[in-house]
Amino acid sequence: MKGFLRILTTAQNRAFMEAVNIQFAPATGTEEEWNEAYARLADYFRSYQLHNRIRRTQLILETLRRAADEHRKDPTRTPTAHSIEQARLMMREWLAAIYSDLNLNEAQLEAAGRLGFHLSGGPARWPNFFLDKENLPRDMMEAMRSAVRTSGPGMQVSKMTPRDMDLGIVSEVAEDTFDRLGRHPILRYSVLITIVGSVLGYLYSLFG
Amino acid sequence: MSVIGAQTANINATAGIPPPRIARMRRATFFSFVGLGTIVGTWLMYVYLSEHGMRWSEWGLLAVFLPLYYQLNVGFWTALFGVWLMNRPKPDPLDLWRTLKQEDVDEPITASTAIIMPVFNEDVTRVFEGLRAIYLSLEQTGQSKNYDFFILSDSNQTSQWIEEETAWLELCRQLNAFGRIFYRKRRKPINRKSGNVSDFCRRWGKRYRYMLVLDADSLMSGGLLTSMVRIMEKNPGIGILQTFPKQIGAETLLGRVMQFAQALYGPPFMAGLDYWQCGEANFWGHNAIIRLEPFIKYCALPALPGKEPFGGHILSHDFVEAALMRKAGYAVRLLNTDRGSYEEGPPTLVDMLKRDRRWCQGNMQHFWLLFAKGWHPMSRLNFFHGILSYASSLLWFFFLVFSTFLAATRLPHVDPQARLAEQLLLGVTIMLIFLPKVTILLDEVITGRMFKPLSLRLATFMSSMADTIVFTLMAPVLMIFHSQFVVYTVLGKGVRWVTQRRKVDGGVDWAECFFTFWPIGAIGLVWAVIGWFVSHSFLLWISPILGALLLGIPLAILVSGRSSGYRFGLFLTPEETDPPSVLATMNGNLAEIKGRIHLPPELEKHHGLLQVCLDPYVNGLHVSLLRRRKNIHVSRTYLDQIAQRLIKEGPQCLNPQEIKAMIHDTETVTDLHYRLWSARDHELAPFWATAIRQYNLAASSPFTHTLAQREVLTD
Repeated sequence: MKGFLRILTTAQNRAFMEAVNIQFAPATGTEEEWNEAYARLADYFRSYQLHNRIRRTQLILETLRRAADEHRKDPTRTPTAHSIEQARLMMREWLAAIYSDLNLNEAQLEAAGRLGFHLSGGPARWPNFFLDKENLPRDMMEAMRSAVRTSGPGMQVSKMTPRDMDLGIVSEVAEDTFDRLGRHPILRYSVLITIVGSVLGYLYSLFG
Repeated sequence: MSVIGAQTANINATAGIPPPRIARMRRATFFSFVGLGTIVGTWLMYVYLSEHGMRWSEWGLLAVFLPLYYQLNVGFWTALFGVWLMNRPKPDPLDLWRTLKQEDVDEPITASTAIIMPVFNEDVTRVFEGLRAIYLSLEQTGQSKNYDFFILSDSNQTSQWIEEETAWLELCRQLNAFGRIFYRKRRKPINRKSGNVSDFCRRWGKRYRYMLVLDADSLMSGGLLTSMVRIMEKNPGIGILQTFPKQIGAETLLGRVMQFAQALYGPPFMAGLDYWQCGEANFWGHNAIIRLEPFIKYCALPALPGKEPFGGHILSHDFVEAALMRKAGYAVRLLNTDRGSYEEGPPTLVDMLKRDRRWCQGNMQHFWLLFAKGWHPMSRLNFFHGILSYASSLLWFFFLVFSTFLAATRLPHVDPQARLAEQLLLGVTIMLIFLPKVTILLDEVITGRMFKPLSLRLATFMSSMADTIVFTLMAPVLMIFHSQFVVYTVLGKGVRWVTQRRKVDGGVDWAECFFTFWPIGAIGLVWAVIGWFVSHSFLLWISPILGALLLGIPLAILVSGRSSGYRFGLFLTPEETDPPSVLATMNGNLAEIKGRIHLPPELEKHHGLLQVCLDPYVNGLHVSLLRRRKNIHVSRTYLDQIAQRLIKEGPQCLNPQEIKAMIHDTETVTDLHYRLWSARDHELAPFWATAIRQYNLAASSPFTHTLAQREVLTD
């Protein structure tokens, strides 16, 4: 696909006009596919609560550029898939730079990092540094690192085990009876029918 | 973080345990009256029945009459003793408030306290806004630093679970309360609520000296929370201190009638109970403070013999925990509280019955414990009263059945002594039923304990008349249902653990009312026909009960509706006319959320799932809170297949177990997020295509969906 990226919605149009006019000319994929990838990235970065449209558009274009390179190498996957994958890789690289010494595995890094950015107020305070691994403000890094949360305090394990309880002879007899009745539903319902039958028999004798 | 304070020092270790002499004297007095009343009533009944000698049906009638009359007497004398206690000039020597001196109130609290709230698929907004109100109220006391809050979730609905997580995070962020409010979700909800609390005790119990248990609908003021800890500190002999939670927030007629009745008649009954229960009171499972060390040591619940519903896991754990605490030598006390401790009640008759079914099964289980060795006699009596509270419905039913038989085989009563006994019994019974109510009402009209303005006192008088009609109509309906619950429990038909509904969305569910209550109407009709053939005078005598049964369906519809008498100033409570600040805070926030624009219903239904899949922050939060499992029990291929179906077909095509399996796995949850965003529109289920388009428009912040947006507090 040659030429400029076609604009999709009014909001995106406005965002694009506010951004620097950058050429985007992917070698593979159709215009429709790249437009769809653009729209998806726009929604995706919006879900990060990045209200700075200029930064959002810069990120979209940067991601699209990386996705276009990847699509050239592997055109079997859609531009949308490549774009989101590139966004994920950018995120990982950025978070790895911030949490380099925290010994987090990949899933923890992504999860804790995203959350850390939200809790530190990142989307409002440092939108221009989001996914920019070359420029990492010290206060942003500190805020994000201190925002790694756990849901509970350190455990102090106690033993809480029931003590033996002597339920007494009545309960033992009752247990035995109920156990027997429980194991034999026919017996249980026979007892019930006998009781009901006795009452009805008594009634019959009263009126009879 | 909380500091574990030093143990209570320089105080008598038995302080808080009422002196045995006083307890013995109070119980001797109280049960003398109860015993006398029961004996007199039973004797009058015997005299009446035995005019022509006793037949089997008459012995049967007398046998069920005795426990019923005992129960009636217990209620009557409890209320009268309560009214007397509330009005006597000399203060109660056992009043726990008197143990607090001014210097105690001025001293900072050093004891560490965990405020725990076990939840199970509850309304997330109500839970967290309630918690916020409690937290803020506690902050205002200036004594909050040694209190930690725990939301202990057993929710098994995915969306609910995710919403709890997001609400927890946002609440912590807004209140700057990270490290003060904690959230814990159990993977397997073993042993339901009591298992949830035990799990907390095992994990974190050692960190705290006290545990304050709240229900999902509880609300407590900071002032009361601090006072309770101070009282526990001054009285090391107390193991459990139970407050009297007043009902709030009712919107239906039933809810408001119950709320009003509890506000008016509740305090004297509590005072009366406190009088004779002394240090062997009951624990009601919430709005109470517990001394953790003995609780962990002595109050673990054993499984009962036999299978559920009659045996197995103990459902009504609170009574048993109270008995175990007493057995361990600690007192279980009631704290007379006028304000500061609140809860919500069921909004409709059907909801009330669902709750009663659970409570009935729980109380019937206590049968096993009645004869166990080592209980304090009063604990045994508490179990007995609990069983009787439901079994009495069945006894009442039998009483009416026997009465019908006797009416059918009636022998004329000509002996003047028998006729006198009949008239006396009728008079005494009417007195036992209505005198407590009249006394309490007069007390309120004279003293203005609830309301000072005369107009409100008159409104209270009118409301009391109206609630008599509602309760009179409801009693026979409840009798039939409770009898059924008792029989079901004995026959082995258990109840499922379901979430309590606390608010009615929309109008009355007429179909639910019809299908629930038509058998009651049918019973009333059949009984009326029998009564007609038996004797017209008998039919007239039993007509109030049969009339109520026949009116079961319209009654259920009427009391479940929102025409609750508020417009006419009926059933007002002090909490409605002058809400305490903790309640006002919560109501203000709930009103803010109510006015919000929501997503389309199909998205709203799966909102939590939608968020965890689409929102990068919610996804991050969920994965961060999930514990990584060493061995995954389900195969990766299986999880991939479900994830694929979720993307292609939408959440409505998966069953809850499949969604749960996926949402419990960190890798799947992380991958799902990217797979959804990576898919082209035509590869997505319409649900996801719509969700992606609309999500950003609706969510100003992903974490405030269920929570009010308030300014972030800073230190």
